[in-house]
Amino acid sequence: MSQGGYRRPHRWAWWMERPGYMRFMIRELTSFFMAGYLVVFLVTLSKVGAGDAAFAEWVDALSGPGWVAAHVVALLAAVWHAVTFFGAVPQAMPIFLGERRLSAPIAMIVMGYGPWLTVSAVVVWWILR
Amino acid sequence: MSKEQALESAEHAGSGVRGAASPEATAERTITLELFRYHPETDSEPRFQSYEVPYNEDWVVLDAINWIKDHVDGTVTHRWSCRMGVCGSCGMMVNGEPVLTCAAFLKSYFPFAVRVEPLVNFPVERDLVVSMDGFMEKLEAVKPYMIRDDVNDTSGGEFRQSPAELAKYKQFSMCINCMLCYAACPVVGHEEEFLGPAALALGHRYNKDSRDQGFAERMDVMLSDEAMWGCTFVGECSVVCPKHVDPAGAIQQAKAMGAQEYFKRFVMPKGAGA
Amino acid sequence: MSGSDGRGGGRRARHSGEAFWWALFSAGGVMAALFVPAFVVVTGFLLPAGDPSVAAARAEAFGQAVGCWPVKIALLGVIALSLFHCAHRIRHTLMDFGLRRYSGLLKVPCYGGALAASLWAAWVLWGIAP
Repeated sequence: MSQGGYRRPHRWAWWMERPGYMRFMIRELTSFFMAGYLVVFLVTLSKVGAGDAAFAEWVDALSGPGWVAAHVVALLAAVWHAVTFFGAVPQAMPIFLGERRLSAPIAMIVMGYGPWLTVSAVVVWWILR
Repeated sequence: MSKEQALESAEHAGSGVRGAASPEATAERTITLELFRYHPETDSEPRFQSYEVPYNEDWVVLDAINWIKDHVDGTVTHRWSCRMGVCGSCGMMVNGEPVLTCAAFLKSYFPFAVRVEPLVNFPVERDLVVSMDGFMEKLEAVKPYMIRDDVNDTSGGEFRQSPAELAKYKQFSMCINCMLCYAACPVVGHEEEFLGPAALALGHRYNKDSRDQGFAERMDVMLSDEAMWGCTFVGECSVVCPKHVDPAGAIQQAKAMGAQEYFKRFVMPKGAGA
Repeated sequence: MSGSDGRGGGRRARHSGEAFWWALFSAGGVMAALFVPAFVVVTGFLLPAGDPSVAAARAEAFGQAVGCWPVKIALLGVIALSLFHCAHRIRHTLMDFGLRRYSGLLKVPCYGGALAASLWAAWVLWGIAP
């Protein structure tokens, strides 16, 4: 495509130009932290298979301040991913009841927050019961 | 000046946008407009030029630019037509924000200077005017028209549609092609080939139309890499859209339909193809 | 950069499987949103916390849960899809930060990494005794 005219230089710091771009970048960066967490999660699972002693040792290491801080970051990233993902549900998956569109809050609760809370409650309950 | 006089002169100036009034004689307050200037025959680089404009609460940025062109500098070049948010011609960057200048009131910026630039992510033809060639080509690419074999066959009457069927695409049909969404989209800035928000939303509008039968044909275009897959759902296109079209939502819906179509073609390469 | 002919509808004919990766990204996004916050709470805070007797009980509950086959299979699905979600998003973030011209090359470390980690997950889950 060849268009004439003056082309303004590419803006490398584009993501700092609008609050919406910053929010976008924070949302995208959650994937880096979630990927990191998933690897740690796999290590935890591998320790289960390695026997009780190895698992106890690994869990003891996880109680150190460094790992706890890392998990706080991972939790913030995972929660923010969930909030932004379910926040997009009304836009990405509109549900029509005849001529009327299901309102955004209801769509988010039915297809997002409701299942999320249920799944989280079951997972946590399983460990605490 | 008394309050009545001030009001009167304000009204006078407001009604004299096209040059009937001479508000510079009576206006007390002024506002600075910094206009992006670029004349290809004389300028190798763009520059900013400041103008003092009478401040009027009823004026929009477009009124101020028109006043400059009529009273101060006739060489200022800009696009505008309807002055009422319908034609989509007067989109510009005002203090870095893509807006319709006919809907951007001076009072939201006063007393600070207002910096006006042509829409970003487009080549500049002259001053505040951008080249629309690429945009028009992208609109065409999604085949934004009714596709069906019997489109000219009216023997069976009109192609009827229920209100529920209309509701599925009506929002996406409100686009006025003002291109603000292209200026707000970082992917358009990175990748010139990216079809962009308005064109993809328009393609989706026809895909969701119950009378249309061109889904597979349109998907040939929309499934390619620099069509909807270029979109990373930044979502700012929907934020700046003056007509609440929500192109970001349209593209995510189109991606879901496109992924289904992709797998359908993978399983049945012949039957599902265009 | 995309070999366009500069005109009309045929100009954007490059298809390189983005639909496939997006489908994995999308499904993985749902899985990650539903499960990962709870997983972080369990493995990051509930397992390491508490006095030894509580920790032992939780460790046992955790081992029991991940030892049964339906949970193993579900876990593998959740983990693999979440990994591909992250891989796709990481790839596109790197593209947005200026590596757009390497969009094809970036598939190797991103999706390759997700695939390797998924295979590792399958191997780990396979090895957990019921």
